[in-house]
Amino acid sequence: MTTPAGADAPPNEFDEVKAKVQDHRFIPGQPDMWAFVLFETLVFTSYFVVYLLFRAQHHELYLQAQANLDLRIGIFNTIALLLSSWAVARCVQASRDGAYRSALTNAFMTIFFGFVFFVSKVLEWAKEIRMGNGFTTNEFFQHYFFLTSIHFLHLLIGFIVMGVVIYQLWSPKRRSQELVETGATYWHTVDFLWVLIFALLYVVR
Amino acid sequence: MSAPAAEAMAPLVQPGSPISRFIWHCRNNPKRELWFAWWTTVVFYNFFTISFFVLSRTQPPANPALDAQGAAHWFEKNHYGILLGFAIMFLVTGMTAPQNALIAYSMRRMSISPAFGYSYLVLYSLSAVPGMLLLCIVLTVGAMRPERDPELQQWLFDLGFLSYVGTMGVFLIGSIVWMLAILIDKNRVFPKWFAYLNLCNALTEVVVSPAWIFHSGVFAWNGVIAWWIDMVVFGIYTGVFITLLRNMIRREDFGTGALPDLPPKRMLETSSLAKAAS
Repeated sequence: MTTPAGADAPPNEFDEVKAKVQDHRFIPGQPDMWAFVLFETLVFTSYFVVYLLFRAQHHELYLQAQANLDLRIGIFNTIALLLSSWAVARCVQASRDGAYRSALTNAFMTIFFGFVFFVSKVLEWAKEIRMGNGFTTNEFFQHYFFLTSIHFLHLLIGFIVMGVVIYQLWSPKRRSQELVETGATYWHTVDFLWVLIFALLYVVR
Repeated sequence: MSAPAAEAMAPLVQPGSPISRFIWHCRNNPKRELWFAWWTTVVFYNFFTISFFVLSRTQPPANPALDAQGAAHWFEKNHYGILLGFAIMFLVTGMTAPQNALIAYSMRRMSISPAFGYSYLVLYSLSAVPGMLLLCIVLTVGAMRPERDPELQQWLFDLGFLSYVGTMGVFLIGSIVWMLAILIDKNRVFPKWFAYLNLCNALTEVVVSPAWIFHSGVFAWNGVIAWWIDMVVFGIYTGVFITLLRNMIRREDFGTGALPDLPPKRMLETSSLAKAAS
């Protein structure tokens, strides 16, 4: 929290930010983004409920199909996204302290770990398709490809969002702390949704 | 026109019967065109709901797993509902024009390039063709001769429903244009959360695309994920944007700067028509 050496904004500005953060009613970023998080969570919850209901009806089929997924890839995906979330959290902290160089490094790290996830996901899809498990193979793979693809789309939007965050951090003329935190909130949502998808597709037996 | 000029124009509500007040507003209210577009939107969605959900029974969509006989039977069963429901739709589809104009107006009121409003207007005007009109025409053709060969009836059945549900994506870019406009606008025309709701709506419209592949299950055109969840999100989205457009008209000052907040409540409590003038 205290890196005054890297600070290149006037000290009164981040004192203000710190005072805000210490206020227990403080909401990071635009409160509007939290409405998005809530709404997306509801939509995904409905997808999960549908998946679990159909899973309960054809439990054996789902278990057999699920055996084709490699848990190790799922864990690798999860670690990559958790690391990206960790990096974006550090980016917000650094930006709050006025350490914009460090904030930028962490924003690029977020994108890097996101990209690692991107590549491993594409490779995993290719592997499943080579094994003969396509979108239409069976009900489990319908849900697998659907949930991972719609999440993947959120990840792609996340890259644009991180682009906005980097654009904000890049020039002293901009640097809206609110937008940085709004972008970070979005990125955490991508990670949070993945953790749920991982648990439901790879782990639940 | 500057804000003070608009204030000077703000009408005083005339006493009298509701009809005379209505006529007075039609002649003097500076926002009459905006209110006309808004009420047209409300009336259109009411007709839409009655035609699609009640009369033609095309919503929720029929079962895509039906065979040729089943599809032919479906047309027979819904013969009069389809003809009447879509006759209404052919009459009122033009009402989407003032609605799209009002949404484009909302973007023209923002501190952004006019390109946003124009893009939206063009996109939504074109989307009505695959997104709604084609279904109405094709299913009306099916209902016209119920004795037609069942194979042909099934062909019309597939074309009708897939053109309607499967092309949901044509509306997607319009939602994203509106979202971007709201996010970069500085005139506070809409709250930012509504921009994100546009994104939610666009994302659920992507989910409809598997309807082109599946004949049954959750991703078919009547499936829980491809249709039901999507429809709930779209319903909420429509309700929200109609409410927000109403607030926008109430707040409109015909200026070019930030849109003012709603005036204090007491000013709005005189009558329902007075609300229109505020």
